Amino acid sequence: MPDHSAQAQSLYLHLPFCFHKCHYCDFYSVVDNPGPKPGTAATDAQTPRPAAATDRQPAFTRALVAELEAAHRAAPGPGLRPRTVFAGGGTPTFLRPGLWDQLLASLHQAGTLEHTTEFTVEANPETVTADLMQRLAHGGVNRVSIGAQSFQKASLDALERWHRPESVRSAVDACRAAGITNLSLDLIFAIPGQTLAMLDDDLDRLLELEPTHLSTYGLTYEPQTPLTARLRVGRVTKVDEDTERAMYARVLERLEAAGFEHYEVSNWARATPDRRYRCAHNLAYWTNANWLGLGPGAASHHHGHRWRNAPNLTRYLAHWDQSEPTGPPPTEDHERLAPEDRIGERLMLGLRLSDGIEHNWIQANVPAGHRRAAAIDELVAIGMLERTATHLRLTRRGLFVADTVVAKLL
Amino acid sequence: MATPTHKTATAAHIRNFCIIAHIDHGKSTLADRMLQGTGVMNERNAREQTLDNMDLERERGITIKASAVSVDHVWNGQTYELNFIDTPGHVDFHYEVSRALAACEGAVLVVDATQGVEAQTVANLYKAVDADLELIPVINKIDLPSAQPEERAQQVEDVLGLDAADCIMTSAKSGVGVKELLDAICDRFPAPQGDPEAPLQALIFDAVYDDYRGVVVYFRIINGRMKRGDRILMMGAKRTFQVTELGKFRPQMVKVDDPFEAGDVGYMVAAIKTLGDVNIGDTITLDTARCDEALEGYEEPVPMVYCDFYPSGDTQFDELRDAIARLHVNDASYNYEPTNSEALGSGFRCGFLGMLHMDIIQERLEREGRVSVVQTAPTVTYEIDCIGKGGEREMIQITNPAELPDPSKVKAIREPIVAAEIITPTGSIGDIMKLCDSRRGVYKNQKFLADDRQILEYDLPLAEIIYDFFDKLKSITSGYGTMDYHVTGFKQDELVKMDVLVNGDAVEALSLIVHRSKAEQRGRHLLKKLKEQIDRHLFEIPLQAALGGKIIARETIKSVGKNVTAKCYGGDVSRKRKLLEKQKKGKDRMKRIGTVDIPQGAFMAVLDSGE
Repeated sequence: MPDHSAQAQSLYLHLPFCFHKCHYCDFYSVVDNPGPKPGTAATDAQTPRPAAATDRQPAFTRALVAELEAAHRAAPGPGLRPRTVFAGGGTPTFLRPGLWDQLLASLHQAGTLEHTTEFTVEANPETVTADLMQRLAHGGVNRVSIGAQSFQKASLDALERWHRPESVRSAVDACRAAGITNLSLDLIFAIPGQTLAMLDDDLDRLLELEPTHLSTYGLTYEPQTPLTARLRVGRVTKVDEDTERAMYARVLERLEAAGFEHYEVSNWARATPDRRYRCAHNLAYWTNANWLGLGPGAASHHHGHRWRNAPNLTRYLAHWDQSEPTGPPPTEDHERLAPEDRIGERLMLGLRLSDGIEHNWIQANVPAGHRRAAAIDELVAIGMLERTATHLRLTRRGLFVADTVVAKLL
Repeated sequence: MATPTHKTATAAHIRNFCIIAHIDHGKSTLADRMLQGTGVMNERNAREQTLDNMDLERERGITIKASAVSVDHVWNGQTYELNFIDTPGHVDFHYEVSRALAACEGAVLVVDATQGVEAQTVANLYKAVDADLELIPVINKIDLPSAQPEERAQQVEDVLGLDAADCIMTSAKSGVGVKELLDAICDRFPAPQGDPEAPLQALIFDAVYDDYRGVVVYFRIINGRMKRGDRILMMGAKRTFQVTELGKFRPQMVKVDDPFEAGDVGYMVAAIKTLGDVNIGDTITLDTARCDEALEGYEEPVPMVYCDFYPSGDTQFDELRDAIARLHVNDASYNYEPTNSEALGSGFRCGFLGMLHMDIIQERLEREGRVSVVQTAPTVTYEIDCIGKGGEREMIQITNPAELPDPSKVKAIREPIVAAEIITPTGSIGDIMKLCDSRRGVYKNQKFLADDRQILEYDLPLAEIIYDFFDKLKSITSGYGTMDYHVTGFKQDELVKMDVLVNGDAVEALSLIVHRSKAEQRGRHLLKKLKEQIDRHLFEIPLQAALGGKIIARETIKSVGKNVTAKCYGGDVSRKRKLLEKQKKGKDRMKRIGTVDIPQGAFMAVLDSGE
């Protein structure tokens, strides 16, 4: 692993375990101990009890702690001191509470969280318990992102998302009871079979929960997911493009009216003068800051060098869950962009933000006469980009076709 | 390069012949087998189909350029030199075929034992008969399960008027009958006539470009004598050269020290720099002792199909210019001149003998010249009867709809007409006639070929057959229909220019000349095709077809509705950037007109008749 830990402003931890793979998800995850589909087998959903034979959670926790310690050793000075920490998955809340305690204890012991202002954990509503939330809050977690996705049973079924609509509220309550009040909810729209009226109902139910942050995603058919396979054989039908566009427009309209700031293509924060509810961790991605990702499948970035840990738990454990790790850890997809390409990448990421990109940066990196400068002028002329006093940014029209716009600037 | 040799035969023991066959009837395989039969090649050193030189020829299984091979064969205890002059097998290369035939005394006529006589076999047979060649019919592929050698031999007698008993049965694949064929060539084909003492007259039947020697000229001496060091005159081109090397293809180039005499076939090198200096069909004589008259039959090849090539993608105009010029040194069969299009920028207007010829040149340009081109839809040459700038009546030829004068000045538009011979299974006759009628064909004649085959003769406008006619013919006849044609002249008709407007701008490269009665249908169909070809943009794009200022059809390409990646977090950055870059690369290969990116396919959409 490259020795970039010192400068990492953000730390990402990938916790790969799930009790079931949702059919649209292409994040790296493993299902060692399948849980029952809520509402089908048991009347009351509980955290499924793992069967010892296939339980890799303890080994994983040891391995992650080992990887963390290695990162600390590699970092000069006091060690890793990220400003933001984000635990994603997988289903981080599917990691058993006792193992979470070990992980959090290790973070504290090393002083990792000394300068951390935002520590987010992703949660599946079905796996959120009052007990776990208290332990997380105690360990420094101050933000929870709950994958609500939809409140309609039909939509959740279409996604093969195994949670009951009503468990979202109990998850929110459990977080608040534990003192975690900075809560983000995820919503998916353009789900097969979904109508605008169903979306409106989802938005009503979301807003009732009074989150501080929202992420709204148009359903993406990722390659090599069961959902895409079903699409290919005609077992699901995509929402047509006009409807999808109308849905995105409805989301924009409703959330703005509800007092949320749209600060990135898919992200919303409750409006405050200090912008405190914007996700600082994700902003690090979009502003090309340096971050370190730990756990199988986790991506990292350091000054234009991108790589990821191999998305393979077996290899991950083989390397890190040994007393003296030998050889290089399994990483892959190393990429070092030429300066010219980094400019394109920065434009791609920066234009996703509603603020856009500062003129100063553009003047310094996109000289007049460069093809990108001509493309920017043309995109401004046809109303896809606009110049504010300080920034270049997407217009509302440009927002809907951001990929087409950005492709012209790469 | 082998050491120089002496000639092996005098005129009495020389046999000059060609093989006439339809595509796929096994000509090249048979030729290879004959070379092996004479011991020139063995299985090991034989590349498949030696006579087809270019990769492209081997890939497409057709012969594009003629060539010649000399081999020795012993018959009745005497050694004969057999000069096999290969002929192109496609309708586009009629002229080259006729020049190759003029260098021969005999022709081997190959008929596929499974498929029988085809249109091209008939057309080339007539040419061979016109050239007074002796004929040996061969029924090939007799080892195939579906072969009907006896029936095909009878067909040869019924249709072509050759004695069925004279047919030689071969299988080029297994070698059966090849020796009999070689013997028959020595036995039945006449020795070349001609007076070695007369002034030199040699026919150029082909020329190729060689990186080391410059142009290599293939010739046949009709009268007289030629030796190394002679100063020669190309009578048509009126240029003189000094012969530096004479030789034969055996099948590699082998220098020959002896003088060449009447009847000899071989190659010549004379410090000729480009193929443009050599005309196929021209007569070579001695500069110091000229003959009185050139040999008959020389014609400039007349291009009938034109299209434009423009640089696309990363290719610059200079690179395209160099690539076209370089290829022309190798293949002078097409012509080119710089052109300019408002929409497409600077490029070249090129003339071809036919559609296949055009495809081949485009492919060779991209492959050998390593350039990327946008090709406009091919058009034919039109004769325009119009009022000139000074007010006088004049006749001009245009090869591009964009050159059409203002409609008020145009008195008449004439288009090239071809006489087409179509051989079709009897069951498809009705549909073929319908097809010809829909293409403004004029029925001429219908002839019986065999129980299950008929020959249809039609006059058709060339413009109506340069696009999908052949494909339609094939699909109607389940692949059994064949066609041959030649241009007979020009004829006036109600032709009009249709403009196509993309986003309000007329795109000249998309305009076409159509028959008035078909304009609306063509226009509507063309716009539908364009709509499929052009990607949705960030804005709405209107498409219109117009005659004069009058819009006769319209379509709209909607703007992109929604295209935005929902999730773009740390682990997604690289993948997303690559996806978008791919999207952008696709655009780079397109041609930008105003603010619209138009793919190559759109320019070819003009060709789809919509029937």
